[in-house]
Amino acid sequence: MIKTTTAPFPTIRLRPWLGITATAAAILASWMGLVWAPTDAVQGDVYRVIYVHVPTAWLAYLAFVIVFLASVGWLWTRRPWFDALAVASAEIGVLFTGLFIVAGSIWAKPTWGVWWTWDPRLVTTAIMFLMYLGYLLLRSLSTDFERRATRAAVLGVIAVVDIPIVHLSVLWMNSVHQLPTVARIGAGPALDAQMGMTLGVSVIAFTLVYLALLVERMELERRRQARVLEVRS
Amino acid sequence: MNATRRALLVTARELFAERAQPDGLAAALTFTGMLVLLESLAFGPGRAREADVASGVFWIAVLFAAVLLSARSFDRDLEDDAIDAVIALPGGRDALYAGKVIALGAILLIVAAAAGLFSVFLLDLAIALPGHLLLVALAGVVALPPVIVITSVIALRVRARFAVVPILSFPMLVPQLVAATQGAASALTGDGPAALAWAGLLAAFTLVYAVLGLTIVPAAIE
Repeated sequence: MIKTTTAPFPTIRLRPWLGITATAAAILASWMGLVWAPTDAVQGDVYRVIYVHVPTAWLAYLAFVIVFLASVGWLWTRRPWFDALAVASAEIGVLFTGLFIVAGSIWAKPTWGVWWTWDPRLVTTAIMFLMYLGYLLLRSLSTDFERRATRAAVLGVIAVVDIPIVHLSVLWMNSVHQLPTVARIGAGPALDAQMGMTLGVSVIAFTLVYLALLVERMELERRRQARVLEVRS
Repeated sequence: MNATRRALLVTARELFAERAQPDGLAAALTFTGMLVLLESLAFGPGRAREADVASGVFWIAVLFAAVLLSARSFDRDLEDDAIDAVIALPGGRDALYAGKVIALGAILLIVAAAAGLFSVFLLDLAIALPGHLLLVALAGVVALPPVIVITSVIALRVRARFAVVPILSFPMLVPQLVAATQGAASALTGDGPAALAWAGLLAAFTLVYAVLGLTIVPAAIE
């Protein structure tokens, strides 16, 4: 039996401040990425796509790991809060995965000469995108709240297997994609300090945007769940 | 009754049901044969005989056959409400998952053997390493049911189930498809170490999804 009626939905009090902070951080990151960071000696200004491409990649991974954790939380406790977190994170994850692919494509054209190539990293990322689109499709086809949450949670747990495959595909297979630049095993970041700092600020700014969107989407889901329960009672 | 015995009972029940009404097997055999034939015609005789193309066509045919067989198996259970009786038993959910995985694997082996023989005959394929090819084929077939049954269970009693199962399972099965295709192509061209490496990857893939399935899927069975 669902515990929604007895388990109150946690109220998030940071909502307005999170939005303001995320906006300020995004403005700062844009200025640093477009003006403050130096031009790359080899790629010129084209490389600046990195300040969108890497943070969106990070957020795609983060969002789907959150889906996984929230799915485990739902299966473990059956608290609707976890289902709201899972759906919010999945939707934002799909959005950022789409941006990740588009930004990568924009970067690939001047550097590789093509918008798209059958590279392991690109293909596995596209598969991850499709997998989470499937997750959202599954949710949209189920009407009963508890069944939908359980089905989606099972898929959310299983789909997480794809994330290490995406990240490590450039190490496992022959790839034209560059190897990890920041998160390198047994070595520091292979990046100029100023560029590294700009990238760090961009990652923080995008993460704050993710959190702001997450909180807003969860609030929408909370209202939807409340309506469902009202009708049921 | 222990868990293994319960799972084997479900397997036996599935196999008896398929034997009594072999419509799933007949559809899968016809479908794979037709797909191999059509794709060979589409590629042309020269390209269709290339090891990687022949392997890719074969594995795509087997993949679709697995979805067909699983759909038929769950349809049968839903038609006569057998699924409710099985999951009502103690340990019934785990047994249902494991039993269906084993049964689907067994039926799929028949389909894959027939499709493989048909491909070899139709395309006049030269097999450099038959033993390696058998190993890759076995590992590739065994890797399919854990994922297909997981997605079939998740999509059980969902609207548009027939569309949802492939949409959910095919992205998950890409590593299986790549490894099985590359492994079979390696065995056909005589690259033994590569074929064994791909077979190892298939075994690891099977293990991951079988463990995940047994751990979590029973919670999703309604």
